[in-house]
Amino acid sequence: MHPLLKDRRALLLYLLVWLAFALMLAALMAIPGRISTAAALAFTAPLMLLYAFVSLSAWYICRAFPLATTNIARVLSANILASALSSVLLLAAALGWEEVIQWLLPGTGTPGWEMESLPLLAAAGVVLFLLASAVHYLLAAFDLARTAERNALQLQVLARDAELKALRAQIDPHFLFNSLNSISALTATDPPTARAMTLKLADFLRLSMSYGARDTVSLDEELSLARSFLDIEKVRFGNRLGIELDLDDEVCRCRVAPLILQPIVENAIGHGIAGLVDGGTIRIAGLSRNGKLVLTVENPADPGRPRNPGNGMGLSNVRKRLSGLYGAEGRLDVSDEPDRFVASISFPARSV
Amino acid sequence: MRIVIVDDEDLARGVLREHCEHHPDISIVAECRNGFEAVKAVAETKPDLLFLDVQMPKLNGLEVLELLDPVPAIIFVTAYDMYAVKAFDVHAVDYLLKPFSRERFEEALQRARERIVDGTVPDFSAVARENLRHAPAVERILIRDGTKVHIISADAIDYIEAQDDYVSVHSGGKAYLKPEALSGLEASLDPARFIRIHRSYILNIDRLSRLETYAKDSRIAILKDGTRLPISRKGFDKLKDLL
Repeated sequence: MHPLLKDRRALLLYLLVWLAFALMLAALMAIPGRISTAAALAFTAPLMLLYAFVSLSAWYICRAFPLATTNIARVLSANILASALSSVLLLAAALGWEEVIQWLLPGTGTPGWEMESLPLLAAAGVVLFLLASAVHYLLAAFDLARTAERNALQLQVLARDAELKALRAQIDPHFLFNSLNSISALTATDPPTARAMTLKLADFLRLSMSYGARDTVSLDEELSLARSFLDIEKVRFGNRLGIELDLDDEVCRCRVAPLILQPIVENAIGHGIAGLVDGGTIRIAGLSRNGKLVLTVENPADPGRPRNPGNGMGLSNVRKRLSGLYGAEGRLDVSDEPDRFVASISFPARSV
Repeated sequence: MRIVIVDDEDLARGVLREHCEHHPDISIVAECRNGFEAVKAVAETKPDLLFLDVQMPKLNGLEVLELLDPVPAIIFVTAYDMYAVKAFDVHAVDYLLKPFSRERFEEALQRARERIVDGTVPDFSAVARENLRHAPAVERILIRDGTKVHIISADAIDYIEAQDDYVSVHSGGKAYLKPEALSGLEASLDPARFIRIHRSYILNIDRLSRLETYAKDSRIAILKDGTRLPISRKGFDKLKDLL
């Protein structure tokens, strides 16, 4: 339905404009002097009010032949054809209305003046319809601009949101404080390992801070961040944590969004390994197929863990970033089985 | 003083052990790597003091707390847990934030010694309740049976019956007794699945087979396994709203 029909005040205003048209038309008809303007208005006002609604059909034409995607000749021909048809409709209504007037008030005015006015009426029909159509196209253009602006704004908000979340995810407080606690334990029992762990933690923090400021990194770089993270966790979890990597050199040269893999690896530890009494092995695999890069992180999980369906394991941030960056081509797929959790992300593979 | 250390990380237990070694009167009677071992060790060794990590596999520290009886003096240990730490502060529960200094450890130990002498116990149940408030509906019920712990997932519960100071959790033809009030359990279970159909009964709605009416306001729920449970008038209204 035309949006104007849902807004009473706008509709009233619109009809007032058409009454003004009716007055103008009546004044033109009165020029030959065969009839008063008032009598002519009695004839034109109902016709114009009817035509006001007929002209709303321009809305459908405007939607069926949008300026942006239709060639201009088709837009013009569609509008001219529609205006001609509408005008014919107006003439038919005028003839019918005249019959009614004659029947209601026989002998009013000078007979035949209406017939003389028909060419004027036909021209008015065409012009007014085209005018209505032009206004519709104008409004549609405004609408389009506003929607585009809103979309851009929404994307911006999403991007910043992702950035903030990514920044927060960089330094998971559990990870940080538990690592410091491990160092604290090692200083007394095993000083060289304590020192090595301090250096690993420094590496991890330095890398994640520098990646946060970049647009893309190579998968190799992203993996070295994951490796430094896993090395630290290995000290914490000891032989409860096993790590397997399966990625070839070509895959490692691909460019990826920084910190896109890291939250998934952290999840695999936090919701997977950390929940298992005897731990398990995390497997990270990558392959490039049909121009797409697919990265998979697989971890064993406790069947009795709390599940939150839909969101997988709090990976919604990764999903949003992927769709923000790659649209429909960026995906996160999650397989949440009782004793196993697999998250895989895929997006277009780019090597530069 | 007899103590038990509970933490899933070797190194974290090592720090506690190291600090304890400065106190000749302390003997470590057990070290546990998870909540199950902790519940068992406390039941068997009856320690004076428990160092209890909050984040652990299977049963976390607060869940362990729920299963201890009697409750020894406890010092919670956590790396980072906003809600728990807030609750600890509010209810004067002793805790250590990892990593902690020797001084901080001595302070907490001293307070625990005083508690053991006075016999004062902080309001642990309030801590557990507050912890639940920040969690979504309970997905499992923990029940201690001697030194064993049963974990019954919410899906496996048929119905729960009030029995004096206990609730009897019925699951797959077995019944498990837990010292808790039916109203407390009702509040923590998912209200879309578990309905208080009677003063003494909570029903898992998935188990309902049909309703039978005997007289006005006298109805009985027939479960899929044939069990018959009474329905109060208020319970029937709730069922009606849900179905």
